Amino acid sequence: MKVLWLDRAIKRPEAPPLAFLMIMAILLGLTTPGFLAGANLLSIVSQVSVVGIVSLALNQVILAGEIDVSVGSLLAACAFTFATMAHVTSGLLLPLLASVAVGACIGLLNGAIVTVGRVPSIVATLGMLLALRGVVLLLGANGILLVPSAARLFGLSTVLGVPVPIVFLILVFAGLDIANRHTEWGRDVFAVGSNRRAADAVGLRAGFVKFRCFVAVGLGCGLAGTVFAGQIGEIQATAATGFELQAIAAVVLGGTSITGGRGSTFAPVIGAVLVGVILNALTLNSVPGTFEQLVLGSLILAAISIDAVRFRALRRAS
Amino acid sequence: MSPTIARPLSPAQAPRRRKPSLTRTLVLFLLLLAELIVFNLLLPGYMSPGSLLDTSRTFVETGILALGMTFVIISGGIDLSVASLLAFVSVVMGLSFQAGVPLPAAMLLGLAAGIAGGLLNGAAVAYLGLHPFVVTLATMAIYRGAAYAISNAAAVSDFPPWFTTIGQSYFANGLVPTQLPALLVAAIALWLLLSRTSFGRRVYSVGANEIATRFSGVSVERTKLAIYGLMGGLVAVAAIIQTARLSTARANASMGLELPVIAMVVLGGTRITGGAGSILGTLLGVLVLAYLQDGLASVGVRNDWGLVVVGAFLILGVLANEFFRKSPR
Amino acid sequence: MQDIVEPTSCPATARAEPAVVACRLIDAGKNFAGVWAVRHVDLEFRTGEVHAVMGENGAGKSTLMKMLHGVHLPDEGQVEVFGRIVSMTSPRLAEAEGIAMVPQELDLFPDLSIVENLFVGRKRPRTRLGMFDWPAMRRAALAAFARLDIAIDVDASVRSLSGANAQMVEIARALMHDARIVIMDEPTAALTEREAQRLFGILGELKRRGVAIVYISHRLDEVFQIADCITVMRDGERIHTGPTGDLEMATLIQMMVGRPLSKLFHRTRHPAGDTMLELRNLGRRSAFRDISFTVRRGEIVGMSGLIGAGRSEVAQAIFGVAPATEGQILIAGEPVSIATSRQGIGHGIIYVPEERRSQGLVLEYAIDWNMSFSALDRISRGGFVSRRREKQIAERFRSLFSIRCNGVGAPVGSLSGGNQQKVLLAKALVVEPDIILLDEPTRGVDVGAKAEIYRIIDDLAAAGKAVLVVSSEMNELLSMADRILVMHRGRLTGSFDGPDFAVAEIGAAAAGILVERAEDVALHPGAVT
Repeated sequence: MKVLWLDRAIKRPEAPPLAFLMIMAILLGLTTPGFLAGANLLSIVSQVSVVGIVSLALNQVILAGEIDVSVGSLLAACAFTFATMAHVTSGLLLPLLASVAVGACIGLLNGAIVTVGRVPSIVATLGMLLALRGVVLLLGANGILLVPSAARLFGLSTVLGVPVPIVFLILVFAGLDIANRHTEWGRDVFAVGSNRRAADAVGLRAGFVKFRCFVAVGLGCGLAGTVFAGQIGEIQATAATGFELQAIAAVVLGGTSITGGRGSTFAPVIGAVLVGVILNALTLNSVPGTFEQLVLGSLILAAISIDAVRFRALRRAS
Repeated sequence: MSPTIARPLSPAQAPRRRKPSLTRTLVLFLLLLAELIVFNLLLPGYMSPGSLLDTSRTFVETGILALGMTFVIISGGIDLSVASLLAFVSVVMGLSFQAGVPLPAAMLLGLAAGIAGGLLNGAAVAYLGLHPFVVTLATMAIYRGAAYAISNAAAVSDFPPWFTTIGQSYFANGLVPTQLPALLVAAIALWLLLSRTSFGRRVYSVGANEIATRFSGVSVERTKLAIYGLMGGLVAVAAIIQTARLSTARANASMGLELPVIAMVVLGGTRITGGAGSILGTLLGVLVLAYLQDGLASVGVRNDWGLVVVGAFLILGVLANEFFRKSPR
Repeated sequence: MQDIVEPTSCPATARAEPAVVACRLIDAGKNFAGVWAVRHVDLEFRTGEVHAVMGENGAGKSTLMKMLHGVHLPDEGQVEVFGRIVSMTSPRLAEAEGIAMVPQELDLFPDLSIVENLFVGRKRPRTRLGMFDWPAMRRAALAAFARLDIAIDVDASVRSLSGANAQMVEIARALMHDARIVIMDEPTAALTEREAQRLFGILGELKRRGVAIVYISHRLDEVFQIADCITVMRDGERIHTGPTGDLEMATLIQMMVGRPLSKLFHRTRHPAGDTMLELRNLGRRSAFRDISFTVRRGEIVGMSGLIGAGRSEVAQAIFGVAPATEGQILIAGEPVSIATSRQGIGHGIIYVPEERRSQGLVLEYAIDWNMSFSALDRISRGGFVSRRREKQIAERFRSLFSIRCNGVGAPVGSLSGGNQQKVLLAKALVVEPDIILLDEPTRGVDVGAKAEIYRIIDDLAAAGKAVLVVSSEMNELLSMADRILVMHRGRLTGSFDGPDFAVAEIGAAAAGILVERAEDVALHPGAVT
C-alpha cells in the first residue's frame, strides 16, 4: 500500500517540477553562497508572490480548459486603481476593495465574452489584454503614479515576521486548495477541463464553471494588484507588460496541463517559486540580465516537452 | 443508425468555389471605406492616393506577418513568437553585418535564422505533439531572449544607404513606398499558394479535420512543419524590411506586434479554430486596422486609443465570425 | 407491417419475487429529419430479467435505448417507468427515474480518480464541518467495487485503467446510483472472456436484486447464455419478443437479417485473377498478430468478427496509417514496405474508413474538394490543382454513383448519409487503386443507398480490383463475399469459402470458440453454446 502511495505521488502532475525545484535548491545551496540564507529564501518567495497569486487564479482557468492572457493588463489596471484610490482616501480598505472590484468586473466581462459570446478564450482575452492596456495608458496620462508610502503596506510590511505578500499568497493558496478539494465549485473545474462532453452528460453547467474561473482571475489580480503596487512603489502605465507570460509560465512549469483537466493547486506555486529561484540564481551568479528571457523560455519549452513525453509514456504503460 | 442531420454550412467559411464570403468581404470593405471617409472629413486630403500610399509604409511588415499567420491559423495553429523572431532575425542580420559579413550575405543569414526559428516551432508542434500556443509562448521568450543575449541589448544602426532605401524611399515619383511591392507580391504569391495549390488544400484540411487528412495519404506532420517554416521565412522578410525602415537592428524591435497581427487575421474572417479563412480577408483586415490606427493618430487621438481599438476589434471580429456563420440557418 | 400480434414481453418465469414491469415503451417512435429511425414500438422490460435487444446496425436499437435514457424524447408514443408516464428530456432526468446506462463508448473523466468519477455531478457526502467526506466517498466506492467482486485502486486516475476496468467503473457508477433499470450497450466489447464471465456473474446478482437489465449485444453466444428474453429489431420496428429458450440461433439470425437478400445485394460471379495482395504473418503490437491471407484480382474477401477483434487495425496496417510492426505485405508477389498512408496509396492501396465524419471527409467542404483530396498529385501540375479536371472527375462520379446533391460545389455535410458514403467511395476511387479496403462500407446508410453501394462494390470486383470488406453485418458478407475471414482478439480464427457459407461456424469463430484454449473453456463452460 505504501508503494502504491509512492507510485501515485510520482505520477502526480506537479511531481517532476517539485523534484526539479528541490534539486535546483540543493545545487544552488552547495554552489552559491548566500542562496540558502533565510532572508534570501524569504525574499525570493516575496518577489514571486504577485506572480504566485495571479497564477493560482489563472490555474483554475487553465484547469477548466481555457486560457486568460489578459492578466498583464488586468494587474496593471488593478494596481493603478489601488494607487489612485489610495491618493483619494486615507484608509486601505477602500482602495483594496476598489482594486478587487475592478478586477472582478473585468473578469466578469472576460467570462461573459467567452461563455455567452462563444469567442475562443485566447482571442477574447488577447483583445482584453490590448484594450485594457490602452485604457490604462489613457488614464495614466501623467506618466508615473507614486503610491503613497502608507499604502505600500501590502507590499512591504510583515506580519509576525512574515512579509504580507507571502501571507496573501498562503491565504489564496489555502482558500483555493480547500475549494478544489471540498467544493463542487472547485471539483467541477477539473471535471469540465478533463472531459467537456462527459461533464455535460452528468449535468454540470460547463459554461458557468468556466465563467466562475474567469471571475476568479479578476479577483486574484485585484488582490495581487495591491501587493504589486506596494512592492514597486510607483506605477507606470506600462507596468506589468508581459506579466501574462510569467503567470502562464508559472502554471505550466508547475505541471498543470495547458489542455486542461490535469494539474493541481500546488502547480502554480511551485512554478512561480521555480521561476523565482532561477532568476535569483542568475542574479547571484552574475549572469547578465539579457539572458533572463532566454533561460526562462528554454526552461518552459523543456518542461512542456518533458511533460508531453512523460504523459505519453504514462498512457502507454497502462 | 444515427441519421445524418444535414447541417447547412456557411459557404463563406469553406475554402473555395462557393462565392467567397461575400457578406463578410463586403462588410469589411464598407468598414474600410467608412473609416477612410470619416478621416477624410476630419482631415481633408486623407483619402488622396498619395496619403494612402504613404501610410502603407507603416503596415507592410505587419501585413506580411498577417499573411503568414493566415496559413498558421487556418491549419488550426497559432504563432505568438513572430514579433520576437523578427527581432532575433534583425539582430542576427545587424550583428553579422557589424562583424564584417557583407550585407547581402547577412540578409541571407537572417532569412536562414527566420526559417530555422519557424521550423523549430513547427517541429515541436508536429513531432512532439505540443500545443502550438504553449510552444510559441515559450519560443516567444526564447527568440526575444536570444536577441537580447547575442546583442547584449545594444543596437546596430550603421547600415549602408542602399539598404535603408528599401525601407525609406519611394517609387514612381515619390508616390509608392519602396517596400509596398513586397507586400503585394507576397499577397499574390500566398493567395495562389493557399487557394490554388495542393499544399494550400492540405493547409485547410489539416485545420478542418486532422484525422481525415491523415487517412487521405497526407503527412500532417510535414504539412505543419512547412507551414511554420513558411511563417519563419516571412518573418525574416518582414525583419529585413523593418530593419531597413528604421535603419536599426535591436532586440526590443516590434514588441507585442504578434497581437495586432492575430487581430488582423481574425478580423479578416479566418476562423481561430482552423479550417477556414482567406488571404483576401486578411488583406482587408490589415487595411481596416492599419488605417484605423493611422487615422486616429493623424487626427490627433492619443496613440493609446489604438490599442483599445485593436483589442475591441479582435473580440468583435470573432463575434462577427460567429454571427456570419450562423446567419444562413 | 407485422400481421401476427407478438407479445410485448416474455411470459413471467418462476421467480422468488413476482416480476413487475419496470419500464414500458408505448407505440414509441423517433423521427430524424423526416426519417423514422424507430416506429410503433411496444415493449416491456421487467424487474429481475435480462432482456436482450438484438438487431443489425441501423435497426434502431441505439435510438430505442436513447429514448429510454433521456437522450431522445420520443416523437410519438410514450415511455412509462413503473407505471408512470414520464417525459425524460435529459440523461439526468432518466437517472432521477432510476435508469442508468453503461454506454458502449466510455465517457469518463480520464484525469480524475475513480472515486471522483463515481461522484461527479452527484451529491457528495459532507462532514459536519461542511467539507467533502472523502473517506466516506472512498468507502462507498470500495463497497461498490466489492459488490462487483473487483479489487481496484479507487484513487488511481481513470486514464491509467485498462478498457475492461474503465468499463467496470461505468458499471459501478450505474450501481452506486441504486438504479432500478440498467441499460448496457455492448458491455463486453472491450472485455476478455474471463472479464465477460465476471460481468455475467454481476448481472445475475443484479437480477436477484430485482433490477431490470436491458442488454444490447451482437454476440449471439453470450445473449443465449444470459438473456431471459430476446427482442429483435429490424428497420426501426420490433420484429419479435419472446423467451430465449424458444429461439434457435439460426431463427434469430433469420429474423435479424429479414428481407429477401436477392433484392438488396448485387453480385455477379466470375473467375478471380492473379493474387494481388498477400499478407504473411502480419502483426502490430497489442493489436493483432500472425495474420496471413491473400486477395486476388476480382475477388471480394469479407472480414468478420466482433467489434475490437482487430479487423480495422489490419486494414489500416495494410494501408499504412497505422503500420504493421512485424510480418510482410506482398503486392502482386513483390514484398513492399508501407509505413505511411502516402506509401500505401503509392502502392495502389486505398482504405475507406468506417468513421465517415471523423476519418473520412471534411463535411463543411465541397463535394469535389473532398473527392479529389487523396489524389491531388494526379490532378495537379507544378503543385497547382487543375480545377477543370477536378470538376470533371467529380461530375463523373456524381453521375456514376447517382449522388443526389445540389451541384458538386455543395458542402458534403448537406448530403444524406448514403450520399456522403458514396462521396467517400468516390474519393477512394479517384486515386485509381488496385486494392480497395472497405471498412463498414454501409454503416449508417439507408437501404436504397446500401443497394447502390453493393452494386459499386460488385463493379469494382468485376473490373479486376482486389476488394477486402470489413463488416459487422453478417448478411452483407454472406451475400457479397467470395470468401469470409474471421478474426477474434487479434487473430485469424477462420476462413470460409462461399458462396454457401456455414453461418453457425462463422459465428462460432467470431466468438473465438474454436481457438479458445482448452482450460479457458473448462473454466467457463457457459461460454460454449
